[in-house]
Amino acid sequence: MLTMGLDIGSTACKSIILRDGEQILARSVVPLGTGTVGPRKAFGEALDLAGVARSEIDRILLTGYGRFSFDDADGQMSEVSCHARGIYFLLPSVRTVVDIGGQDVKALRLSEKGALENFVMNDKCAAGTGRFLGVMAGVMNVKTEDLGALSEGATEEVSISNTCTVFAESEVISRLSAGVRLADLTAGIHASVAKRVASLVFRGGVVRDVALSGGVALNRGVVRALARELKIDVLVHPDCQMAGAIGAALFARQQL
Amino acid sequence: MPDAMPELEEMLFELGEVASHPRRMLRQYLAAGKKVVGCMPVYTPEELAHAGGMTPMGLWGGQVTPSLAGKYNPVFTCSIMRSCLEYGMSGVYDGLGCVMMPMLCDTFRGMSAGWRAGVKAIPLVPFIHPQNRTDPGAPAFLTEEYRVVRALLEKHMHCEITDEALEKSIEVYNAHSAAMRSFASAANEHLDVITPAIRHHVFKSALFMPKEEHAARVLAIVRELRKRPTHVWKGKKVILTGITAEPEALLNVLAENGVAVTGDDLAQESRQYRTPIPEGGSPMERLPMERLARQWFDRRGCSMAHETRAARGRMLTDMAKETGADGIVVCLMRFCDVEEYDYPMIAAEAEKAGLHCLCLDIDQSTRDNGQSRTKIQSFVEMGM
Repeated sequence: MLTMGLDIGSTACKSIILRDGEQILARSVVPLGTGTVGPRKAFGEALDLAGVARSEIDRILLTGYGRFSFDDADGQMSEVSCHARGIYFLLPSVRTVVDIGGQDVKALRLSEKGALENFVMNDKCAAGTGRFLGVMAGVMNVKTEDLGALSEGATEEVSISNTCTVFAESEVISRLSAGVRLADLTAGIHASVAKRVASLVFRGGVVRDVALSGGVALNRGVVRALARELKIDVLVHPDCQMAGAIGAALFARQQL
Repeated sequence: MPDAMPELEEMLFELGEVASHPRRMLRQYLAAGKKVVGCMPVYTPEELAHAGGMTPMGLWGGQVTPSLAGKYNPVFTCSIMRSCLEYGMSGVYDGLGCVMMPMLCDTFRGMSAGWRAGVKAIPLVPFIHPQNRTDPGAPAFLTEEYRVVRALLEKHMHCEITDEALEKSIEVYNAHSAAMRSFASAANEHLDVITPAIRHHVFKSALFMPKEEHAARVLAIVRELRKRPTHVWKGKKVILTGITAEPEALLNVLAENGVAVTGDDLAQESRQYRTPIPEGGSPMERLPMERLARQWFDRRGCSMAHETRAARGRMLTDMAKETGADGIVVCLMRFCDVEEYDYPMIAAEAEKAGLHCLCLDIDQSTRDNGQSRTKIQSFVEMGM
C-alpha cells in the first residue's frame, strides 16, 4: 500500500512516498514554497523517483502552511500533528520536538507512544524562524545553507538582538560596516535564533530526548547554539527536513 | 434580513447586525436626538451616563491599519487603543458628546494624552481605578473619582445625574448582567445554534444598545432556546479568555474545526457581567455612588485588577470543568503586557487540571489568521 505526504511550507516543499507506512520509497525537496510551482514539482519528483503513477498512490495527505492550496490530494492535516508523527517515526525516543520552519517555530511534546500531548507556537513574528536566517544570509551575501559551515570558523560570538528581524538586520549591517568577521557574525545570528527559540521551548517544557526538525535542523550552527541554550543534547535525523511529509504519509496510511 | 427566518434566528440575526455596525447605531442615536457618550474598555461606569439620560456606546476600535494614530501611539501598543485613536482622529467617532476613559494600564496613560492632543472635538473624561484594592481608603478614592466623572459628564453633556436616577440605572445594569449570565448558561445547551460567532454577536451587541432593550432581547432569546431540545455537542469545547476574541474570522475558524465555545472570560464579553453591583451593608455603602465604586473591589480573575493571590487560572479550569470544556484558549492581545504576565500561570493551571491551553495571537490590524488556523486544527487533531 502506497501513501504520499506533501508538506507545502512557506519556503520549501517536501514530498515523500511510503510503502505500508514503513519503507521510504522516494523523497523530494524543492526550495520553493506555497503559491509557486514548488508543490507540483515536489509532487511530480517523488512520483518519478518512486517510479509510480498518481493512480497507484492509495492516499495523499497534505500538510504545511500551503495545505489548503493543492487540489490533487485526498485530505490535509496540520503541520504540528505531522511533525510530531514524523519525528516519532524517525526517532522514537524523542519527547520534545522543536520545529523551526520558514515562518513558524513550534515546540511539541509527545507521549511515550508518540501522541501529541501539548504544543506551543510563536506569534506572528519572523524572529527566531528560518526567514530570520534567510534575511541575515541575504545581508551578508552568503547562501542560507552555507551559514552552518561558516559559523564553524567563529572565534567569538557577536551579540545580535532577537526582538525583531528588521531591527536585527540593521544591527547586522552595522556590524558588517564595522568590519566584524562573517564567521563571528554568523555565530551571533545562530545564538540569537537559539535564544528566541529556547524561550518558546521553555514555555512548553523540556522533556528528554529533544529533537530538531524542519530544514533549519540541517544548520549545525543553530543545532549547537540551541543545545547550549537548552542545556541538553539536541538530536537531528538526516531526514529531519522530511519529518512533516513523513508524518502526513503515516496519517494517510492510518486513514485507509 | 433573509425571509421566513424562525423567531430565534431572526433575533440572533438582528443582534449580529448591531454588533457588526456600531457606526450605523451611532448615526441612528444621533438622528433621534440622543446624546451619546463613548465608553472606552473596560469597567467604565456607564451607569452614570445612563442615569443622566445619555446613550453609552462601547468603543472597541476595529479592523483598521492605523496611520493618523501613529502620531501619538507607537506601533508596539495595543491595537484596540491604536484603532480607537485612529477612529477618533479620522472622524469616525464624530457625534460623541465625550469619551470616558479608565486608566487601567500603562497604554491608557499615553492614550489619554494622545486623545487630548489628537481629538480636540470630543472631550475626554479620564479616571483611575485604584490598583491597591485592599487599602481601606481605596473605595473612598474611587467614589471620589466617580464624582469627578459625574461632574464632567454633567458639564460636557449639559445634563443632571441624580442619586435617584443612578439607583434606577444600577438596577437596569444589574438586570442586564443577570440576563447575560442566563444567556451564557442557556447557550451551552444549544451549541448547534449558538456558534462561537453568534455567541460573540450577542455579547458584543450589548456594547452598542441601551441595556434595558438589550436585556429584553437576550431574555427573549433565552426563552426561545429553552423551548428547543438540548443539543449534545460531539466536537471539542473550549473556554475563551483574554481581552477580545476578534476578529470574527477567528471564531469562524473554531466553528470550521468543530470547536464550540462553552464559556468565556473575555474583557469584551462575560468578564463585564459576572460581578453585580453590590447592595451595600451600611447606610453609607448603600448610597448609589458608593455601590458603583464597590463593584471594582469585588472583581476577581482579571488581568487589569491586581490581586494578591492570582485567581484567574483556577477560575478558568473550574469554568472548563463545569461546562465540560476540553481546553482553554488564551486570546492574547498583542503587546498587552498585563495579559502576557497572566499567561504562564493560566497555562500551568490548565496543565495541572489536565486541560490543553492554546494561545492565539490577537491583533486588530491584521487579517491573516493562518497561524491561528494551524493552532486550532492541531488542537482538534490531538489524540488522533
